[in-house]
Amino acid sequence: MSKLNILPLPTFNRLGVNFTERDTAFETETISVPEGSERQIIQFRETDCETSVTVGKGARLNLVQVFTGRCASVLKTTVADNAQFGLIQLYLGGDNVSEIITELSGYRSGFTAEIGYDLGYGDVLDLNLVADHYGRRSTSEITADGILRANAQKTFKGTIDFKNGSSGAKGSEKEDVILLNESVVNRTVPVILCAEEDVEGSHGATIGRIDEQHIYYMRSRGIPEEQIYEMITRARLERIIKKTGDKDTQKRIYSILGWGDDDE
Amino acid sequence: MKEKTLVADIDRAFYDFRYDEDEKNFLESGITPEIIREISAEKGDPEWMTEFRLHSLDVYNRLKMPQWGPDISGLDMDRIVAYIRPQKRMQSDWNSVPDDIKETFEKLGIPQAERESLAGVGAQYDSELVYHNVRREVAESGVVYTDLESAMHDERYAELIRSHFMKLVPPTDHKFAALHGAVWSGGSFVYVPAGVHLEIPLQSYFRLNAKGAGQFEHTLIIVEENAYLHFIEGCSAPKYYEASLHAGCVELYVGKNATLRYSTIENWSKNMYNLNTKRAAVEEGGKVEWVSGSFGSHVSYLYPMSILNGRGARAEFTGITFAGEGQNLDTGAKIVHNAPETSSYMNTRSISKSGGISTFRSSVVISENAVGSKSAVSCESLMLDSVSRSDTIPSMVIKTDKADVGHEARIGRISDEAVFYLMSRGLDENSAKALIVSGFAENVSKELPLEYAAEMNNLINIEMKGSIG
Amino acid sequence: MSELLKITALKVAAEEKEILHGVDLAISAGETHVIMGPNGAGKSTLGAAIMGSPEYTVTGGSIVFDGADITSETPDKRAKHGIFLSFQNPTEIPGITLSSFLRSAYEQVTGEHIKLFAFRKKLQEAMDVLQMDKAYADRELNVGFSGGEKKKAEILQLLVLRPELAILDETDSGLDVDAVKTVSAGIKAYKEQTGGSLLIITHNTKILEALNVDKTHIIADGRIAAEGGAELIDEVTANGFDKFI
Repeated sequence: MSKLNILPLPTFNRLGVNFTERDTAFETETISVPEGSERQIIQFRETDCETSVTVGKGARLNLVQVFTGRCASVLKTTVADNAQFGLIQLYLGGDNVSEIITELSGYRSGFTAEIGYDLGYGDVLDLNLVADHYGRRSTSEITADGILRANAQKTFKGTIDFKNGSSGAKGSEKEDVILLNESVVNRTVPVILCAEEDVEGSHGATIGRIDEQHIYYMRSRGIPEEQIYEMITRARLERIIKKTGDKDTQKRIYSILGWGDDDE
Repeated sequence: MKEKTLVADIDRAFYDFRYDEDEKNFLESGITPEIIREISAEKGDPEWMTEFRLHSLDVYNRLKMPQWGPDISGLDMDRIVAYIRPQKRMQSDWNSVPDDIKETFEKLGIPQAERESLAGVGAQYDSELVYHNVRREVAESGVVYTDLESAMHDERYAELIRSHFMKLVPPTDHKFAALHGAVWSGGSFVYVPAGVHLEIPLQSYFRLNAKGAGQFEHTLIIVEENAYLHFIEGCSAPKYYEASLHAGCVELYVGKNATLRYSTIENWSKNMYNLNTKRAAVEEGGKVEWVSGSFGSHVSYLYPMSILNGRGARAEFTGITFAGEGQNLDTGAKIVHNAPETSSYMNTRSISKSGGISTFRSSVVISENAVGSKSAVSCESLMLDSVSRSDTIPSMVIKTDKADVGHEARIGRISDEAVFYLMSRGLDENSAKALIVSGFAENVSKELPLEYAAEMNNLINIEMKGSIG
Repeated sequence: MSELLKITALKVAAEEKEILHGVDLAISAGETHVIMGPNGAGKSTLGAAIMGSPEYTVTGGSIVFDGADITSETPDKRAKHGIFLSFQNPTEIPGITLSSFLRSAYEQVTGEHIKLFAFRKKLQEAMDVLQMDKAYADRELNVGFSGGEKKKAEILQLLVLRPELAILDETDSGLDVDAVKTVSAGIKAYKEQTGGSLLIITHNTKILEALNVDKTHIIADGRIAAEGGAELIDEVTANGFDKFI
């Protein structure tokens, strides 16, 4: 068993969020995006993998990762001057331990993460995301949208770390979780670490039921409650799925989710 | 101008005066069962308390130091003198308090404060409560405000204390709770009977004067059904070069539909290790309100905890932490929702300056049975320079779907536009920044009685003075 | 007697405070009723109670619609019976487009499946009546809409869903002159296309100009203080509510 997803600064032991333990069999993989170029990579992940990524100066990487089974994933990325790393991750079930460490080492380097999850019976997700801001005026924008059903368990630890010298850096993090069953367990730990005065950081989280006002408004137009849940939860994931920008990927994800064609 | 000049011309040196201790009154350093027995005998503890202390010591020796949070390796436990025998027994007449002790309190403005606005004052000088008084009318309403040790020997309260003492914070909770259980000394006991609404606050003022000494006071407050109490705790200690420890314990029992507001402005000297444990249990429809300002100490671990045990119970926590040079203040709050339709609200600010480290740490737990509960947490941090640190580590654990939990946090600096605006109206830069920081602390100052809010603003001004920009 | 809506001795409370203290109201098929009254009198509460808002609790009396007692029905069941409420402050629902929302609502209310293409055509017709930009169909429901756009979107839903009774809660408030005209045209179109009933909550008479008002009810302090025909509107316009309080 090895310790994974270690919270950068430990907190109260009793919460069970400081780390997670797991047997792993990592393969390694390297992705390198050369200076000034642009790449889009789509991966459906089913085995343990440690991925090292470098995004060269002025380059752009859009990485889409979809998780459906049981795997441990470590994704370590360094982002150079004026480079952009856009990450989309979808967790559609299973038992996943996933770590995302992004080092924003370059001036004006940028990182956006869009994470979506829809977890049901027996599903477990432990997610540890760290955005290390070293570069001046580096930016990070992390959003997570999720749905927990049945007895799903999820831990999302998201850290924005402003290192000394990262002046002008900005980081934001937002997680919205819809809970749909009394047996779910949600853990949310949004951390900001800061050793630089000239930065702006924010995080927010909302966790709970669907807004009662939304339900009332939609019901007043004749839509029954179950369908409202379906529409709202689907809309959450769909927003992220559409951002993959690739029709085939979208179709494949829809079929994993068992969604029909919208047109008929 | 009021006689209580403390507010107007407070400065650090003011808190730094001290008197020589008579060394012969020290017990030997380090803690053994023999010392515990000695303390216990000295105090004339009932037998159950002696047993409790020995059991706690055993727990203390078995537990590890905390594995998270700020470094406390500078704390040499063997050198902390657990107990300083007082030279005189507790006095209820101010005139019979020894002169040097009296002078200390006079300087702190305690008797004046009592006369002016406070319903009762308990001042702890080192380990024993030397002065205690409750206004007559307060006592007549059935409110008990006395030191815990006397109360333990009073047959009217003995059973009440035995059934509540360290039941909320058991010695097994953590190493310093165990230490507290073994060596606790002094502190307050407050009992507010059902239906009594105390309009004026009760106040307790703690000071730690002896070099290298620990302070382990215990505060036990029971507020019965439909009653109301505001309790104010102020702390300060003069400065010594040897590390000092404060491991107090506060246990609050809030009855059905009762409200307890517990306000603290803590300004321990900057070599103090403040490892204090505060906890409240709230029954159906009751409410606990914490107002907390942390300015002093070298290292703090402070997370007042509210356990919402009854349907509809509520907790509010409003806090500010100011970490300056040489300080590592790890503060926050914990809330446990243990019953349906409970709610909690947390609003905190932290400021880091001149190399100070402030950490906001919280946990909100919504248990399986806390259906229909709500929690909102909001924390803001201000960085005044780039040699300081400010960390925010909130956590939320939710085990039911019928809950609404919201969290927001923000970190940043003083806005240049705001400074420019104030300067354009004639303020110099330092004053402008001090004003902005005071405004930032407004969440807490607006919750405090006027004289405390003024004292807090003065503390902020002292911290801000001359060293920015 | 073809009473479409019959409210009897209705008492309604919000957070344990009673707001309506026993209201009687009857609307026949095809009629247009107006409810007026000072601020805080309980006008909007009545509209919300008819729709079944979770913010309010009916503590006495009954609401009968089309012969069925709906006093404790859920809002979606009431909508299927043919009741529509135009909200004073329409809720913003992120992530769901106006078009897909309204299509689901249409299928529920009519009980029939409609193909996307056919629905878009129907939607377009209604949007034309309201001079709405096509782009609104694919925007998230009410999200970032201006006050006027939200009100237009409510009337758009009214035209597509074609209820038997439309309750318009301050649909004209906060609108500029042009927007009032557009919204009025929409209401008129609803009336012409469906012959449905209207219950209009307002304190502005502009929106009533193009309509034949059958009955006016003045609500003051949670009770019906006066009732009359269209002439009552003129009296209120001239003299205010003082004589009814």
